[in-house]
Amino acid sequence: MNELVNKLRQGNRRALARAMSSVGATGHAESSLEVCLRESTGQVPWWGFTGPPGVGKSTLLDALLVHLREHGRRVGVVAVDPTSTRSDGALLGDRVRMMRHAVDDGVFIRSLATHGHHGGLSDATLHCARLLELAGYDPVLIETVGVGQNEVEIRSVADLCVVVLGPGYGDDIQLVKAGLLEIADVVAVNKCDLPEAQRLVNEVRQEFAAAARDIEVVAIEAKSGNGVPELLQRLFELDRARRTETAEASRGRRRTLGEIRRRTEFSCRQALGRAMTGPEVEQWITKLNRGECSLATVISRLAALALAELQQEADDG
Amino acid sequence: MRKLDQAGQQDLTSCTVDAHPPKRILIGKVGLDGHDRGAKFLIRALRDAGYEVIYTGIRRTPEQIVQTAIDEDVDVIGLSLLSGAHNQLFARVAELLKEEGVEDVVLLAGGTIPEKDVPYLEALGFRHVFTPGAPVSEILSALQQELSSRE
Repeated sequence: MNELVNKLRQGNRRALARAMSSVGATGHAESSLEVCLRESTGQVPWWGFTGPPGVGKSTLLDALLVHLREHGRRVGVVAVDPTSTRSDGALLGDRVRMMRHAVDDGVFIRSLATHGHHGGLSDATLHCARLLELAGYDPVLIETVGVGQNEVEIRSVADLCVVVLGPGYGDDIQLVKAGLLEIADVVAVNKCDLPEAQRLVNEVRQEFAAAARDIEVVAIEAKSGNGVPELLQRLFELDRARRTETAEASRGRRRTLGEIRRRTEFSCRQALGRAMTGPEVEQWITKLNRGECSLATVISRLAALALAELQQEADDG
Repeated sequence: MRKLDQAGQQDLTSCTVDAHPPKRILIGKVGLDGHDRGAKFLIRALRDAGYEVIYTGIRRTPEQIVQTAIDEDVDVIGLSLLSGAHNQLFARVAELLKEEGVEDVVLLAGGTIPEKDVPYLEALGFRHVFTPGAPVSEILSALQQELSSRE
């Protein structure tokens, strides 16, 4: 274990890549590496990037990497794309936008699939980000899958959240709805060469003003790099404010809390899925349809079955 | 691979713990060649067959391909080229992999490659060379065979 950690700290890319493949296998007992990672990280703030599909998150990361490298920073990137619910396969295409950094020693990019995990991240995301932190990458950037209105899990993982929007998001009513804007520390409105973009910038600003929230809205054009240095300055300011001792202490707590919540939800959902296939289910359907029992009864029975299974797993493992 | 029940719904029992996470495949296009229809056809087919596909996009250098393969810890590298420079560029990828000490990755080649070049590419370590007209089923079964023989 110590040998591996040493290799990681020395910047051995193959060791890092291999370690990333070994972490985050759901349902297994935690490896000593995973335990070690939790202990030995928490100093570096993670920057999360989220927003609708095709809005330019990967292109923005590509542009940010250029500037972060100019500032002499070694940057780690975890980019998540969706797993197919039909085949379990995935097309991990975020890298296509970032290939010019592939041979830069100061940049490490890893593509991950969601593996049936909802919320815009995957189980391995947290571990891979921790590995990058341990290997000396600072900052660590996390790109979520393209999200809709409600996948806001990045909030529990990242220390600062950039919400990326672009023209075509909809009218101002969309912005008033709860969801993405609520988790933003900064909003980047991309594709500002397009005419509709300025209207969106104004609407988002008005929305924050109405909610009395002091959130900066930066107009950018990720492809040409316009506005990206300004966005980065704002990110540096927010990053600095998060490098206090108290922020560090709460960071470790928050990451672990998020981890507990995600893993618990995942395990419960799986156990419940298995309970749903038990022989009793057909009887319950019949009874429910005849009005012979209540839905609440069925729920409590299913939950009890799932719980028993989880208990059994914990005892075994 | 996940099964679908009769109604085409996702079967919850089969999204249980993955004893074997999906294999990871890099599909890359090297050199000055923008013809990516074949590569894009293949990445869809591979995704639907349950693989995690890392696509590099077009006009990449052998160095970019190899570093990406290492960082992403892939099991397979598939290179596609239609420009005619396969002997040079594919050889460079194989050479760089050797320099980096990467020996456990399955190498596949595809594109408009003349019959006479196939033995050379095979000697470089490419396990299969797929030429125009190769059915996707053939590619998938060759891939499966390669991977299962390495388990």
